[in-house]
Amino acid sequence: MIPKKSEQHDSVVHFPNKKITYNPVKILKSRKKKSGYENLTGYLFISPFLIGLMCLTLYPVLYSLYLSFTEYDLLGTPTWTGLDNYQRMFTNDAMFWTSMKTTFFYAGVAVPIRLVFALLVALALNKITEMVGLYRTMLYLPSVVGGSIAISIMWRQLFGNDGAFNSILDTLGLPTHSWLGDPGTAIWTLIVLYGWQFGSSMLIFLAGLRNIPKTYYEASSVDGARPIQQFFKITLPLLTPVILFNTVMQVINGFMAFTPSFIVTNGGPMNSTVLFVLYMYRRAFEFFEMGYGSAMAWVMLVIIALLTAFIFKSSDKWVHYEGEQK
Amino acid sequence: MKKKNLLFVLMIIFTIVLSACSGNKASNDAGNEKENQKEDGSEKITLRMSWWGSQSRHDQTQAIIDLYEQENPNVNIVPEFTGFDGYFEKMAAQAAGNNLPDIMQQNFGEYLNQYADKGLLADLSEFVGNGTIDVKGVSETIMESGTQEGKIIGIPTGANALAAIYDKEMLEKAGTALPDANWTWEDFLTAANKVHSELDTYGTRLLEPGNHFEYYLREKGFKLFNEDGTGLGYDDDQLLVDFMEMNKTLVDSGAAPGYDVIQQIKGVEDELIVHGKAAFDFRWSNQVGALTSAAGKQLELTLLPGKGNAQGMFLKPAMLWSIPESSKHKEEAAKFINFFVNNIKVYEIGGSDRGVPLKQEIRDAMASNLSETEKKIFDYIALVTENSSPIDNFPSASAEVLQALADIDELVIYGEMTPKEGAKKFRKQAKEILSR
Repeated sequence: MIPKKSEQHDSVVHFPNKKITYNPVKILKSRKKKSGYENLTGYLFISPFLIGLMCLTLYPVLYSLYLSFTEYDLLGTPTWTGLDNYQRMFTNDAMFWTSMKTTFFYAGVAVPIRLVFALLVALALNKITEMVGLYRTMLYLPSVVGGSIAISIMWRQLFGNDGAFNSILDTLGLPTHSWLGDPGTAIWTLIVLYGWQFGSSMLIFLAGLRNIPKTYYEASSVDGARPIQQFFKITLPLLTPVILFNTVMQVINGFMAFTPSFIVTNGGPMNSTVLFVLYMYRRAFEFFEMGYGSAMAWVMLVIIALLTAFIFKSSDKWVHYEGEQK
Repeated sequence: MKKKNLLFVLMIIFTIVLSACSGNKASNDAGNEKENQKEDGSEKITLRMSWWGSQSRHDQTQAIIDLYEQENPNVNIVPEFTGFDGYFEKMAAQAAGNNLPDIMQQNFGEYLNQYADKGLLADLSEFVGNGTIDVKGVSETIMESGTQEGKIIGIPTGANALAAIYDKEMLEKAGTALPDANWTWEDFLTAANKVHSELDTYGTRLLEPGNHFEYYLREKGFKLFNEDGTGLGYDDDQLLVDFMEMNKTLVDSGAAPGYDVIQQIKGVEDELIVHGKAAFDFRWSNQVGALTSAAGKQLELTLLPGKGNAQGMFLKPAMLWSIPESSKHKEEAAKFINFFVNNIKVYEIGGSDRGVPLKQEIRDAMASNLSETEKKIFDYIALVTENSSPIDNFPSASAEVLQALADIDELVIYGEMTPKEGAKKFRKQAKEILSR
């Protein structure tokens, strides 16, 4: 009893992001058909994910919320202390504020650097027509191994006093510097490390660039637009949804950075590279203060949530969607 | 209908998941029983064993494990090893997951106390009592270091002491007198400066704020912590000021490296004295073997400087073997520890890397075929035994206090803070941490 095409009542619904055409009759019909048994099958199929989510994410997250109100030294039972951890954090822990400042600086500088770099490389790759695969692989490589300990150890060697970087400077007759030993430059080595791992953002940018219809460029060049104008009038506006996505992901990433500061500098010199997560780790695992560590984790969660919300809110102003009606 | 189904399925999943997550006792016990049955049938037992150390220690310990497995074919030992950095963090994570190894290398001082305070370590009195672990002939004071509130929670692996290690060749080349047991801090400073000016290298490695400041205090008749562990054991901040000033002067004149250099040393094999970049290094005597083999030349050792060094020096259990309370194979683990501390072959493989053997009979048995370095270490421990006073215990919060001291020392050496400000700040922070 499927109605003929002409009888169907199509409606257009405006979602904020996209214009989606759907047919309520069709959907209602297909819903009716599904039996309870089919639903069960569906849930069983996604149960590996569901179990994973609950066991490995939901349960630990909720447990850590509980722990953040307790004093817990890993063994024995947590004792409820109410808001003590939070109070101590905000009023009586200078290191907390130091690590917070360092993290904001780190993410604030490193994330834009990575995004700009990723975009520039993506633009270059978009133009190349020969051996694209090779270049992409090579440029993506640092990101594949980037989060790993091995790269951090390599970084430590590169920027060490007798490392490759200083050797090069020395051969060129330039003055060498103790990059990791100087509190002023240590954080910058970590920022460069973060920027260098631009691969995944680059791939996403590249996909976004490929999605921009060629016709726009052709039409505009007929009208006499120069490449610079094309970039700012066509490429950039049409890329904003991808920029939004990358920004959000990288901001979250940047605030949660741990491995570089742990491996490359271990927070030193003079605590100039103690990122928030490293300090949290120290509290939790070096001084056995799980409750305090959990409380710190929740503060970070709130900060990241606020930042993400802020970016999304501001996106109304600068993100353009192709199907959008103004 | 649909909603009911959904709810039903979700509820089942939730119950399963939550009961699985909370790792309830019933299922653990069931697992226990199963393994025990295996044991009775003399099936293979797997013991996990963890330690920290240098590469030479890893190799030696592997060889010792192989030896034990040959003699006890039903035991399989799974090694888990790292450098000292990160070892206790890893252990803490395992403790949180109730997943500590069956045999763990434990450190005297704040770490032992932390684990003991939390009831993580099994009381080994039973095994010592029934002879599974034979400690006859080990001195009372050393055994006491692994004992707390009447419970034996760690079996010492050997004796250890801080040592002033020096490169004889370098000192001779610089034309400075060789140190002996009666040398003073002034002698040390003169020699370090002379080496620096004559040989254009560092004179000494930078002194560590933790171990070396503690020695410095003891040498002057004070302690780092007071008796009940509620505060610092010295009243006059000038002591810390002097100590930091001494280091600062050394660093400023170039006779000792700053933290930018120290930070990049990752492991004993990488130390300055190994590479001929410093003539002095103060560290634990059991590391002399690893240092010497990495350096490829003979290093000498003597007591740390100071007029009161007989009072400042102390013997320490190099490290301890502990069995966590959570282990399912305590008896088998105890047997292995017994093997480790009593079998002469173990010391033939490992030498004094885990400290000088505690039993006279083992030392005597080894005496005939000791290497030159081992002989020096044995003699040194004998010297310290004559010239030392008992070790001080640390409160369990001392890890954090020592971290605060290290942070402040860094600030002072970098010139961000005067020694005077640093000493004051340290007292304030230590008070805060210890009273928490």
